[in-house]
Formats: sequence, C-alpha cells, structure tokens
Amino acid sequence: MSYHFGTGPRAKSWPYLMLAPAVILYLVLALGPSIATSFFSATDATGLPGLPIHFVGLENYREFLTLGARAQENINAIFRTLVFCIAVTTIQFTLGLFVALLLNQGLRGTRFFRTLFFLPVILGVTIQGLMWTLFLYPLGGPLQTFLNLFGMESLFLGGQPAEAFAWVIVVQIWSNLGFTMVIFLAGLQTIPEEVYEAARIDGASRWQAFKSVTWPLLTPAVNTNLVLTIIGSLQAWQLFLVLTGYRPGTQVMGYLVYAEAFGRTTGSTTVNSFRQGYGAAAAIILFLIVLAIGITTQFFLRRREARLTG
Amino acid sequence: MRRLIVLAASTAVAVTAFAGSAAAQDPVTLRVLVHQNPPFVGFMESFNDQFEASHPDIKVDMAVVNANELMTSTQTRLMANDVDVIDIFAFSNAAQPYMQNTDPPGWQSLIDAGLLMDLTDQPFVANYDPASIADAGTYNDKVYQINLGRVGFSGIYYNKDLLAENGIDLPTTWSELVAACETLTSAGVPCMTAGGGDGWPIFVGAYGLLGADFPDQEALVEGLWTGTIKYTDPEWLDLLGKYQVYSRDMMEPGASALPGDGAPGRFASGAVAMFPGGTWYGPAIEGLEPAFDWGYIPFPGSDDPANNQYMFGKYDQGWAIAETSSKKDAALTYLSDFSEPANYQAFVDAVGPIPTQPGATLETKIGQELAPYLENFRLGFELLWTPPKGAGQFAAPPLVNMFQPFGTFDDPQAAAEQAQADLDSGLSAIQ
Repeated sequence: MSYHFGTGPRAKSWPYLMLAPAVILYLVLALGPSIATSFFSATDATGLPGLPIHFVGLENYREFLTLGARAQENINAIFRTLVFCIAVTTIQFTLGLFVALLLNQGLRGTRFFRTLFFLPVILGVTIQGLMWTLFLYPLGGPLQTFLNLFGMESLFLGGQPAEAFAWVIVVQIWSNLGFTMVIFLAGLQTIPEEVYEAARIDGASRWQAFKSVTWPLLTPAVNTNLVLTIIGSLQAWQLFLVLTGYRPGTQVMGYLVYAEAFGRTTGSTTVNSFRQGYGAAAAIILFLIVLAIGITTQFFLRRREARLTG
Repeated sequence: MRRLIVLAASTAVAVTAFAGSAAAQDPVTLRVLVHQNPPFVGFMESFNDQFEASHPDIKVDMAVVNANELMTSTQTRLMANDVDVIDIFAFSNAAQPYMQNTDPPGWQSLIDAGLLMDLTDQPFVANYDPASIADAGTYNDKVYQINLGRVGFSGIYYNKDLLAENGIDLPTTWSELVAACETLTSAGVPCMTAGGGDGWPIFVGAYGLLGADFPDQEALVEGLWTGTIKYTDPEWLDLLGKYQVYSRDMMEPGASALPGDGAPGRFASGAVAMFPGGTWYGPAIEGLEPAFDWGYIPFPGSDDPANNQYMFGKYDQGWAIAETSSKKDAALTYLSDFSEPANYQAFVDAVGPIPTQPGATLETKIGQELAPYLENFRLGFELLWTPPKGAGQFAAPPLVNMFQPFGTFDDPQAAAEQAQADLDSGLSAIQ
C-alpha cells in the first residue's frame, strides 16, 4: 500500500512532518524519562529538588544485587516476579481462550457474560483491591464465612507470604481476564465460517477443527495476548501495594522499585529515606528482564507465525 | 444602533467590574496535607471551618492520606509545589556516631534540600515546650517543625467487664498475662486483637514486650550496632519465645489480616478482651462506644513488675511549612491560630496526645489512664534505630512479625539466627 503526498519538491517531507507530533510525544513522554532513569540509576539522587546529585557509577547496581542479606531478598523478588509472570500468563491465557471459545458459540446470554467477564477491567486497581480485601476479610468476610461452614479457616492476605502471593495472582488474573477474552473473541470472529464448514465436510471432529483451524488462524490474537500478559505481569505492582503492602516474602520487582524509590521498605511510618537513584537502578534491572523476556518471546512467536502462515 | 452599542458597552463595563471585584475577593487557597487518623481528621475539619470563618480571605484545602503514604505524598507534593502546610511525623532516627553506612532519614533530606521553612523566629514556637522543640523540631540549630504531642506505643487496652466476668485480675506480669489469655481463650473469648493487615500495628504491643526486657533502649540500639548484644543471646531467645506466644497464642485468629483501622472498633465492640495499641487509639475507642469501660496499662512483658512500669513512645506528628510555598503568610497564620492555647487544648481533647504546650492538659480518658506512667515515659526503639545498608528485613526489632501467623517462623532459635544473620550482613558490609 502506498500513499501520495503530491508531486512537488516538498512532497517527500510531508510524511515526516505528519509523523513529527507522535515522535515528539514519544520522545518527551516515553524515551526521555527512560533515558533519565538510566542516568539517575548511576547517581545518589533522592528525588528532592535542591539536593546535590553525585555520580556513583554502578554502586546502586552492586548494592541491589550483591550487598548483604538485602541483596538476597532482591534476588528472591526477581524469582518471585518470574513465578508471578508464569502463573498469571499460563492461567490467564488458558482461561481467556476458554471463555472466549464459550462466548463465541452464539449461546443465549452471551452479551451478559461478555460484559460480566469484562467488568473488572474497567474498575481501577484501588477498587479491585478494596473489593477483594472485603471479600477476604478475616473476621466474618464472605469467603471466611463460607469456609467456616466446613470447619476451615484461612488468613488470606495476612501473615503467610505464600498464601498472600497466591491471592494476588488470583486477583491479577480476575482483573485482566476480560481483556484477554476480548482479544481472543476479536480473533475468533475474524475466522470465516466457511473454513469450519469445509473442515466439517472433510469429517473433522470439534477437537480437530480447533487444532487445525481455530488455533492456527488465531495466531495474531495468541501473540498479542501472550506479549501483553507477559509484560503486564512482569511489571505488576499496584495490586501488591493495595493488597499486601511491604510484607516480607511477597514483593515482586515492580513493587520493589516503588518501595525503594519512595522509602517504603521498612513497614514503619517514621523510618523513611528517599533513594530514587537506587530505585532507578532497580527499575533498570526490571527493564532489562522485561526486555530480555519480551524479545525472546517475540522471536519465538514470530517464528511460529511464519511457520503457520507459510 | 447607538442604543445597542451603549447597552453592550455598559454590559461589558459591568461584567468587567464584577469580575474585578470577584477577583479581589478570591480567597487564598491554603493546601494542607494530613495523615488519616479519624479523631485528628475530624478535629481538623472543625478547626478549618473556624479558621475560614476568622479569615475570610483564606480557604483551606485539606488532603488526607494513609499514614503509610504520608512521606511519599509529602515528597511528591513538595516537588510539584502543590502543598503549603505539612503534617510530618516527628524528627527521629538521626544516625548516631557509632552508626555507619546508613541512609539519612526522610525529614533530614527534606531540610537539606531546602524544602521546609525555617520557623525559628516565629512567635508561636514559644507556645511549645522548649524540650519538644529541641528534640523533635530542631536541626542544625534551626526550628523546622512544631511538634504537637507525644504518644505512647507500648501499652495495652483492656476490657474491664470481660476480665471481671472471667474472674481475671488485671495482669501485672508476663506469667499473669499468659494465664489470663489462657483463661479467656478457654472461655471462648479472644484474648487480643491487632490490625496486622497494615503491617506495623503488630509492632505496637511488641514494643512493650521489648521495653520490659530492655528498658534502656538506647543501650539496646548501640549494643546491636556494636555487636555486644546479639539476637542469639539467652535474653533475646527468651524475648523471642514471648513474641511467639504473643503472636500465636494471644492474638485472635484473623488478627494478622485485620485492617489497622478495624482493630480499635473490634475492641470497642467488646468482642476481644485486650488490644495492644498506641495511645492515639484512645479517642477513637471512646468515640465509638462512650459507655464502654476500658483501661490502659504498660504491656506487662516481664515477670518482674518493676520492669513493667515504663511507657515507651515517641514524638508524634507536627506541623511544617513548605519553603517553596507562595502562601507563607497564610500558612504562618494557620499555624499561629492552631498554636493558640485554646485551639491547641481543643486538639488535645479531640486527639489525645501527651501535650507539648506547657499549659495544656490531657483530660481525656486515655489521658487519665496514662497519667500514672508519664513519669516513666521513654523514647522507644523505633525512633532510635537506623539500619545499616544491606541489612536484611529482620535486622531490627521488634521481630514479632517473624512468627506465625504474622510470619513464617515457629522456632525462636531459628528466628534468632535469621535475625542475627540479617543484621550481620549489613554490619559486615560497612567499609
């Protein structure tokens, strides 16, 4: 496809002029802050105007990755981030596909359920966190009351890191499932009915039709969903802030960046210090992890797409 | 046509004159940032109404944030030049000479950055106790904050009726407290609750246990920093054992996830017998159930009653003014009015801190309960400790959050070894 911008001497510059606003916005709002974060990660910046900023080289990275027991906790947070990513991506992707396939059958009530599944997406993180905090309320909350009927109890978000972490995974999936579902639904609706008809004439079972028709033709939606879910879960932090706060054994990298930069790592209201240079180093480490995983994922997904589409 | 022009011109003149007069009467909007504490916020709302009535040219725009987020909000709003008067927790945690490789506390960074106004020569500073100004508002010989009061955070609220109904005398030692909780629990009455969901509230009672075993908390901080005190010492192992009993056996199920604001209400409802909490909860409990009969004592953490006489606490909130504010006159008027003895007394009556104005008295219920222990009031560990960089998350007391159900440990020896390793990793990183 080509576009024509006239034939005059200035015609060649029109595309660049029209792209300029978007490029400038990207430079100012996205690339600029990213470059500034890289710069600050090599300083002792506090984030407060008026204080001198000193260049400290790679000291923040050394401290984050190697200094004392805190470094081990940071490395644990990196592994926890990967576990969170794998759990969320696997479950959200599978459930989203399953729900989309169900809602694509043209059954009664499809619109209602489509709205129901998508509803959490439009709620803010604070509302989502508040709803689940109330749902999991330990003294007379709905889920606790239900468990008590069977003589069971759970502390949900309190105390036990593994349990609290598992619940954040549940809430993350619940809050984003609708988005995954909608992308899959859009993909499913682009597949022509004739292809299924041809498969049926050839004697294909429902599973064979899914495997040989739906799955290959859904590749763009699969790729989009995988990339978005992987990157989104690697960067997740707001739900951790709202649901667990700074608790030993529940931090992921996204939350750690916030906690380090804004002095929220002690669990105390009086012990605070501002370390935005150190927080920036943590952000760059997270960025490198997201970049590495994102590029690798894209590489394999594109290779798969090329193989399927010939 | 001429008539139309005259009409249009006179309308324009009238509109301009009206707009001009409205602009002249536009009040200055004073932006005030405070932390969430229902009695305090309630008082501030009525004070703001009174202030606006006295100063029609000033309008107060007060923002309320969770206490955990106060410093973060302060930083971001100062950077954006979006705040004039700041509620800031008291100055504390300055590094001692024997401490190395530490980060400066947030308040110190704010002053070093020139973001807080020097209040040294303001007349209202003289309304406050000079010791509180020196200890909790002065840095490099200049006053940057007026401190509004001290609070105790090592005490325990108790329900008089529930103790009496279960034939329990007020516990004065650790053994008596353990026995009282066993009696209550076997009678189906939860012994204690805490707002563990917010993290820090479980520390509050634990500071009482810590204080009973280590009444000289400055010596404890120095001992831990210099290595003369270790978490694996017998005295600490004994204390960690008490922490385990406190968190596992004394706390009601669910306390580790209960929101901080929910705990005083649960105690006031009569559902639990005791509530380890700071003195700032007193007005809230009183406000929720005015007829409820409760008392407040230092945490009986030791088997020697003489060690249970201390109330540990801190200088709590205070007022500061943003140096970058363009409304300093209005901000100074605000603090000056607040500092008027009658207004300050109203604040003390509503919020219940131990006053820092010499003429003010604490007449509230919590004030009466606290009065016998004021002689033995000491600054608590939280205000004295600064961690070394690189130290692990369990490097500093009270360590109660290590134990189940608040944490994962169920063995005091293992917890002691982990805590010491976390501290040692920070101390050994000092170059």
